[in-house]
Amino acid sequence: MNGVLASPPPAPAAAPGTSATDAGQLAGKAAVITGAARGIGRACALAYARAGAELLLTDIGHDLAGVPYPLGNTDQLAHTARLCQELSPTATVVTAEADVRDLDAVREVVDRALDRLGRIDILLNNAGIAAPSGKTVQDITPAEWELMLDVDVSGAWRMIRAAGSAMAAQRAGSIINVSSTAGLVGYRHFAGYVTAKHALIGLTKSAALDFAPFGVRVNALCPGSVRDDGAAEGRMLSEIARSLEVPVAEHEETFVAAQPMNRLIEPEDVAGAALWLGSDGSRQVTGSTVTVDGGFTSR
Amino acid sequence: MDDTGRLCQALAVRLHTEAGTGPMERALARVADGVRLWVQDVPGGADADIAPALRERELSRPADPRTGPGLRVVLLRYADGAADLVVVAHRAVLADPCDLARWLLGEAVEPAVRAGEAAAGREARLRSALRDLDRRPAPEWGLGEAGAATVGHRGFTVPARGRAADPVALRAALGLVLARCTGTSEVEVGVDAEQRVAFSAAPGRTVAEYLAEVGRAVPAPGSAPAVGLTVLPPAEVLGGDGVKAEPLDVRPFLAPVHPLSLRVADDGSTALRGECSYRHSAFGDAAAEWLTGMLATAYRALTTAAPDALVGGLPLFEEEQRQALARLGGLGRTPEVPDERIEEAVARRAAGTPDAPALVCEGETLTYRQLDRRADRFAEGLRRLGAVPGDRVGVCLERSTDLVVVLLAVLKAGAAYVPMDPAYPAERLAYTAEDAAVPLVVTESESFPQPEGVRLVRPAALEEAARDGSGGPHPVPSSAGPRALSPDDAAYVIYTSGSTGRPKGVVVPHRNVAALLAATEGDFGLGGDEVWTLFHSSAFDFSVWEIWGCLTTGGKLVVVPYWAAREPDRFAALLADEQVTVLSQTPSAFAQLSQADRESRVGDSVRLVVLGGEPLDTRPLRSWLDRHPERECRLVNMFGITETTVHVTAQTVTRGAALAGSRSVGRPLPGWHVYVLDPEGRELPPGVPGEIHVGGAGVADRYLNRPELTAQRFLPDPHAPGPMYRSGDRGRLLPDGRLEHLGRLDNQVKLRGFRIELDEIRARLLDAPAVTAAAVVLRPGADGDPAGARLDAYVVLRPDGAAGDRGGDGEEVRQHTARFLPAHMVPATVTALPALPLTPNGKVDTARLPLPLTGALDAAAEPDEQVGDAVESRLRTAWEQVFGFRVGLDDDFFALGGNSLLGVRLLAALKAAGLPGFPLPQLYLHRTVRRLAPVLAAEGVPA
Repeated sequence: MNGVLASPPPAPAAAPGTSATDAGQLAGKAAVITGAARGIGRACALAYARAGAELLLTDIGHDLAGVPYPLGNTDQLAHTARLCQELSPTATVVTAEADVRDLDAVREVVDRALDRLGRIDILLNNAGIAAPSGKTVQDITPAEWELMLDVDVSGAWRMIRAAGSAMAAQRAGSIINVSSTAGLVGYRHFAGYVTAKHALIGLTKSAALDFAPFGVRVNALCPGSVRDDGAAEGRMLSEIARSLEVPVAEHEETFVAAQPMNRLIEPEDVAGAALWLGSDGSRQVTGSTVTVDGGFTSR
Repeated sequence: MDDTGRLCQALAVRLHTEAGTGPMERALARVADGVRLWVQDVPGGADADIAPALRERELSRPADPRTGPGLRVVLLRYADGAADLVVVAHRAVLADPCDLARWLLGEAVEPAVRAGEAAAGREARLRSALRDLDRRPAPEWGLGEAGAATVGHRGFTVPARGRAADPVALRAALGLVLARCTGTSEVEVGVDAEQRVAFSAAPGRTVAEYLAEVGRAVPAPGSAPAVGLTVLPPAEVLGGDGVKAEPLDVRPFLAPVHPLSLRVADDGSTALRGECSYRHSAFGDAAAEWLTGMLATAYRALTTAAPDALVGGLPLFEEEQRQALARLGGLGRTPEVPDERIEEAVARRAAGTPDAPALVCEGETLTYRQLDRRADRFAEGLRRLGAVPGDRVGVCLERSTDLVVVLLAVLKAGAAYVPMDPAYPAERLAYTAEDAAVPLVVTESESFPQPEGVRLVRPAALEEAARDGSGGPHPVPSSAGPRALSPDDAAYVIYTSGSTGRPKGVVVPHRNVAALLAATEGDFGLGGDEVWTLFHSSAFDFSVWEIWGCLTTGGKLVVVPYWAAREPDRFAALLADEQVTVLSQTPSAFAQLSQADRESRVGDSVRLVVLGGEPLDTRPLRSWLDRHPERECRLVNMFGITETTVHVTAQTVTRGAALAGSRSVGRPLPGWHVYVLDPEGRELPPGVPGEIHVGGAGVADRYLNRPELTAQRFLPDPHAPGPMYRSGDRGRLLPDGRLEHLGRLDNQVKLRGFRIELDEIRARLLDAPAVTAAAVVLRPGADGDPAGARLDAYVVLRPDGAAGDRGGDGEEVRQHTARFLPAHMVPATVTALPALPLTPNGKVDTARLPLPLTGALDAAAEPDEQVGDAVESRLRTAWEQVFGFRVGLDDDFFALGGNSLLGVRLLAALKAAGLPGFPLPQLYLHRTVRRLAPVLAAEGVPA
């Protein structure tokens, strides 16, 4: 073989738990984040980038019939990637569009991540829809019911199915399923969403047991009501308000009042927990449900 | 460990297009044919700081054929139009990433890409080769940290004087380095995960012969080596079709394939660039640094040496590195040593604190003034009896006030003392007196032999001679006048028994003792408030430290009477009564004291314990440290040799060191230095075991009357004036300058063709949680039959350990060793003893270890005595059942470790054997089988 030598390889990543700050906490780790175009997904992507992770960011990239609000689009996904790259110029950040309802598309995303990044250390299943909602349970149509479960539960299962064997082969990894306080308590007029988010916790617990022998951890993250943040372009709260046919301000106020800490959750609050669950700092945490709800479900 | 990275290769090239971007686009279009191209647009030009970091990221990212294509092609497109192409390929998929790069750039090369099952099969084989490689234990000389998961990197250069890299010479140079580090001339160098080359680097061949053999050696399957080497040929510009590709980086592996993997490449400059990557689990940073330095030196030596030069003579260290090694071994730290003889130093103390107690022995106390005056009188007596400066005077006395006074008197008379232990056999005493040519022996012993021309005198006779001027056949020489006394005169001659042959007298001058105190006084805080013990025989040089260490620093010396030195509880009581502060012990004796301390705590007065005379296993010290924490009592392990004046190195033993089972004996004392050399006397780098050589202020003058032996053992010091002593001890330097002592070179025994380190077995025995002390001997078969030879181990078990009968515990210990040692090193028997027998010097007395019971039952054991009758025989069998080892007819029940509990067991064993019992107190009266048998017979033994 012909060739020359250049600079020596960089020093190995710091040992787990040695970094006191976010910087470098995920150095050398590769993460796949679904629903990364905006909102919680974008906040998590930025936190991961700041912590030194390599990223594959995915989102659906188009709207979906049956979901009464616009979904993460191509530009928003590219914008998230650009923001990540700026935070971490030497990180590899790639994007891919995929509908988590499509098994082949999901497999393609995982292949792409493994191919480009060489490995998957963190799978953050964040993609989900909040609507169609706003109906009492007997009024939900079969299509609405199936759509909700297909995206919010089965989507996470498809991602785990596609990435699981590679992660198990690595004998290390962290899968984070973004559930909701709706995975722990019921909400009126949100039966589909609540059912899906509860199911996601069940999926988390079973997957945690299946993967434990392989060193892969699976945890659920349950945010409370997250503020629609301008920079993150989130719109969950307004969509819920719209489903309930109440003004957004009134809805926010209701939630703030219901939250023991008397403030809404910011996307960065969720990202902080997602960072911890993805890092080696949580290396003995699996099958657990981490709430970021200001105490809402503790009442 | 990332196995995938170990099996991947990577290549980065800078692309230059001749006209526009068209050709590049065309070239890259080929990628679509089968290989995915990842394009990353980089903000900033190719010279931006970020470019090398991005390239590095791509070059170090493995491609796993189990989760993807096992191949990755990335184009980093810079804002200024330049671009880098990075290819990463798994070996199972692609043999040479350069081929792929050529093909991408339009050359007519078809890269042989394996895919699917072909790749999967090869991947599995490669991975299994890696597993084989990883199963090999890490080389001890690598100084790795077991369990460490990190990888180290070190860049280095190899002088090439503008010539192209010579792969054969590089491999040959590495062979010389490995031969030096492993201590064997048969070397193996890893080529890749599956192949190695083997050749001989025997020192006797010429450079030409050696290079020819290395050149002929062909890679063969096998993955044993710890070190792998890849030599990359000079870079070559690829390209065609309007695109040129200039290689930036080629990596034959992304993570070290071998525990330590080297790659050397030629970039056209005057030096070759090397990169060493190593797993910290097998190699420390210092080991990698020394190894790469030696490789560069060896390469230069090989490529510039005359073809008929012998490879054994080629340097592996530059002068600068040799100096660094010497400094690491302690050279260059020389404290100021007073120009003073021992008795002058004592006299100085006597003048300074005349009324301070100097010597205490069984109730009798001498102040410094009294000691000095009495020694003066004794010295006068010696002179009147004919002793003249430069003479040697034999001293054969038990530890007593007189002993110390006589020794000081001998020095005052300008003579050197030749200490002899009254417990030594008459033959040895006679030999010593004769060899040392002593005109006088001061002794109380009635049984001291009467060699011709040697006059025996009692200490009292010295006093009488001084008083009345009587006694001497020799008149006091007056005409010549007293010879000027000097610190360079011999102070003592101590006889040490070598492993073979006659004991030899080591001649040690006064100056060495002064240097020893100068080196330790400050660190140990020795002064007038200290109370020392004289525990050891004056014939053992540990006593030199005890006596003169105390009396030249103004301390009080407590002479430990014979009985107290033999019984740990009484010794412990003495320590408390006398408020001893500085205690010197052999590890074996200290283990017994520590045991006594566990039962009844030794007082708190001891603040310094100096352990010496024997290799120390630090692990059993933990229980002492539990009761006497470091801040109250400092434990110092000192490695020493009679020929280097008692001590060489000092290591404070902390709890951490005891937990880790550290074998470090510490750094050399200021003024002393050590070298670790191979059998040819060549330097060895830190981590590599060899023979310890000691230079500096402590090296003795010579062996008395043994010029040849002196010439063999006292060699010129390569870095300092004066001789260095070749110790016969095995050790290695650690990168921080501490020395690890690894036992005697002659503790290596051969059993059925295997070379075995007895110390290694001993260390494993001590690993067993229940074991507090251990010894191993090689016992020849009956009539010296080598086939019957076996290893017998002896252990002292922790009393609070899981009780049970002794035999069972011994077997557990044996099984413990079997988990770590190869079968030929597992002791055939493990016998539990209440204590290990010690020599008068406090070292383990292997000659007095009993025959193991298991061994006695087979034909190999010799019938050591006639068994008188059936009762004796049956009684002896019962004793052996109780003790678990073979006993003699005249062995004392209590001396064997018997106690009342075992007495009860003996009664049970007798009952089980159908023998009558006896009242237990009878055992105290009739303590041997021979004497107890008639008692049983009287009870009426059925015939």
